[in-house]
Amino acid sequence: MTSAIEARDVTKKFGQVQALSNGRLTVGRGEIHALLGANGCGKSTLSKIIAGTHAATSGTVLIDGKSVAFSSPHEAEQAGVALFYQELSLIPQMSVEANIFMGREPRTPAGFIDRARMRADTETLIGLFGEAIGSGLRPEVRVSDLAPNQRQIVEILKVYAKSPRIVIMDEATAALDGRQVGVFFDILRAKRDAGISTVFISHRLDEVFAICDRITVMRNGETVAEVATADVTQEDVVRLMIGDIRRAEKRLGQSDPGRDPILEIAHVGGGRLRDVSLAIAPGEIVGLGGLQGQGQSALLRGLFGIHQLRGGSLRLDGQDVRIRRPSHAVSRGLAYVSGDRVADSVLPGRSIFENLVAAVLVRERRFLVRVGSLVPRLTEVAASLKTKYSRLSDAIGTLSGGNQQKVFIARWLATNPKVLLLDDPTKGIDLGAKADLFALIRELADKGVAILLYSSEESELLDNCDRIAVFNGGSVVTELTGPTLDSFHLTRAAFGDA
Amino acid sequence: MRLALRSERPAWLLASAAFVVLVVVNGLLQPGFFGGSVVQSNLTTFLPLVLVAIGQTYVVLGGDIDLSVGAIAALVNVVTVTTMAAVGDGPAAIAAGFAAGLGSALVCGLVNGLLIGRLRLQPMVTTFGTAIIFSAVALWILPQAGLEVPEAYWSTYGGIILGVPTVLVILALAVAFVVFLARRPFQSWLMAVGGNRSGAFQSGLGLDRIRISAFVLSAAFAGIAALCLTGETATGDPLLGQSLGMGSISAVALGGTLLSGGVGGAIGSIFGGLLLGMIGNVIFFAGLPYEYQTLVQGLIVLAALAGGVVVARR
Repeated sequence: MTSAIEARDVTKKFGQVQALSNGRLTVGRGEIHALLGANGCGKSTLSKIIAGTHAATSGTVLIDGKSVAFSSPHEAEQAGVALFYQELSLIPQMSVEANIFMGREPRTPAGFIDRARMRADTETLIGLFGEAIGSGLRPEVRVSDLAPNQRQIVEILKVYAKSPRIVIMDEATAALDGRQVGVFFDILRAKRDAGISTVFISHRLDEVFAICDRITVMRNGETVAEVATADVTQEDVVRLMIGDIRRAEKRLGQSDPGRDPILEIAHVGGGRLRDVSLAIAPGEIVGLGGLQGQGQSALLRGLFGIHQLRGGSLRLDGQDVRIRRPSHAVSRGLAYVSGDRVADSVLPGRSIFENLVAAVLVRERRFLVRVGSLVPRLTEVAASLKTKYSRLSDAIGTLSGGNQQKVFIARWLATNPKVLLLDDPTKGIDLGAKADLFALIRELADKGVAILLYSSEESELLDNCDRIAVFNGGSVVTELTGPTLDSFHLTRAAFGDA
Repeated sequence: MRLALRSERPAWLLASAAFVVLVVVNGLLQPGFFGGSVVQSNLTTFLPLVLVAIGQTYVVLGGDIDLSVGAIAALVNVVTVTTMAAVGDGPAAIAAGFAAGLGSALVCGLVNGLLIGRLRLQPMVTTFGTAIIFSAVALWILPQAGLEVPEAYWSTYGGIILGVPTVLVILALAVAFVVFLARRPFQSWLMAVGGNRSGAFQSGLGLDRIRISAFVLSAAFAGIAALCLTGETATGDPLLGQSLGMGSISAVALGGTLLSGGVGGAIGSIFGGLLLGMIGNVIFFAGLPYEYQTLVQGLIVLAALAGGVVVARR
């Protein structure tokens, strides 16, 4: 039987950058096939070549045994190939139904859009997710009014609305909650039974092992292994993905109750937050734990003046402070790094230098910028990050997501912050870069910076934090230290049974 | 009536409300404002801008901008008038003039569209440049204002068809076209292209063709507006319609269409165009000294735009 997808010796160059040097992928009919690798390994590029978004520089792609070279997503769709786009292909200001049927609108005999049918078909598709879809996802709602997980569901539905025979799901579960992932997997299995092939790309190995039949691993633009899921363990796969990087040692408790806190938060509210109190000493790494969206980000953003905190008080270095704007926070020695790099951090199209220097310019309020005097300082900071770049004048976009995130942390290091607020900083970053990031964060703590860390990954908190304040419903339900600082207590507290 | 595939209240609501206010004010200031002949003469004045604004809307919805509409109108005017003068008198001359005029409009639109949609040039700079070229061609064809059009042309345009003023018929047809297009997939593709260009591409839309079509539509409406202006002035003028470019963009913005693209609709632009015309009217009949009229007009336009933005932010 011919394979649904057979890609051989595929290469792709973007300008001078070799994104893909030897892409290989074979997916059978009715198979769920994982495509794994660290960020920047070329798996997204390979997917986009198969789905017609990019053209390959060289190599062969066979779909159902026929050689193809799609020049647009439209052509790939005609051949039954649909790609779920990691960076969302939705049009925010348009309705769910308009997005799902974009370019393939059902028409009345007169050529108008058949709204009744579009509505009914959209409702059928939404029905696939049933209860798990949450409230407010209706055909006529604007996509910009939806929660991120619902947008992702719309993107998934949009893929299936094309009735594809081959589906590439590139990080399709990243924003979904556990229940939605479960429903999504049921859909994937049903599609598999109907003979539809799925390429599944995910950073979550648990998911890969739960759903995938076979695994292709890529590293540095090359396919390095093709294995059956049943024959390998997660550790095997991680080793294949990254070669030689081990998980970091657990940080030894640094908590010293005798030290005076540098930041004291007392009874603050506002937004999602309710009566949150927390104190952090210099050199401490305090984790904000709990289920996603329980107020962890709201607290960090509030401390940095992005949202207003209401009530209560803030003491920084023993002095009462009010922070109404990020500029107040910066001038008082706070720094904030968001996991949402595109929205919160990156100055797109600008050089690495300009991206690095942004916070220094705010902190020091220079009238004129003398680049010459800043370059040595920033070069030193950048070097301490083990960031791979060729020149400071290169565009920020030439770096991978993980290296960009290092730049955004470095941006603040140059301002010598006293408190570093990290808001899920490793979102979408590969394992290698994560290890570097946490090494850096620990080093900062050792130098006396107080660090507040929120992470959606429990293990990151457990491995790196001295204490974890567990959030539930906008308030801190418990603080875990010493013997209670483990997965069991964290999970129990997060689910409201502390 | 839902004019776009969106769930929110229509973008043209605000412009239409402001329009109603101005109609009332204007009615108080201008004697016989609601009389048939005044409506007809006002509409004759406003119609060209309204038509150009409709066409401009499609370009703006797609995330582009067309500064060349005024120059296209001038070119269509001189082509039409010159053709008519060459063919002679009577229906044949009018038909030939229309065909030549609209044909040249479509060519202009295609030039803009190909440069911007295919070669990916910046729309603002490109249409600024092509506008100069179109004006130059118009001057080359007819270096000085002059020539006449057949009487049947301007008397029909200024007259009445089946008991309805011709200008009103044209406006009604334009509205019908707008409603027609709003229900076709094309307009939602256009809004997708303007709203999230890479998303639209990834959804399999042909960006080039959609953007080119928008520029052709815009040029076609500029051409029709030029035919209206020609019916009104009954002569050729290579410097005609110079205020139509910025005027149409203001009308589009007043009508609630975002200049960043992806949000809005042509119904709003119709109200926006009428609004701009009415503002001029109100100022004139309010008896302001001549030297202050432009200043007050500018302030009102600015206030209307700012008001729209403030309301839209809620």
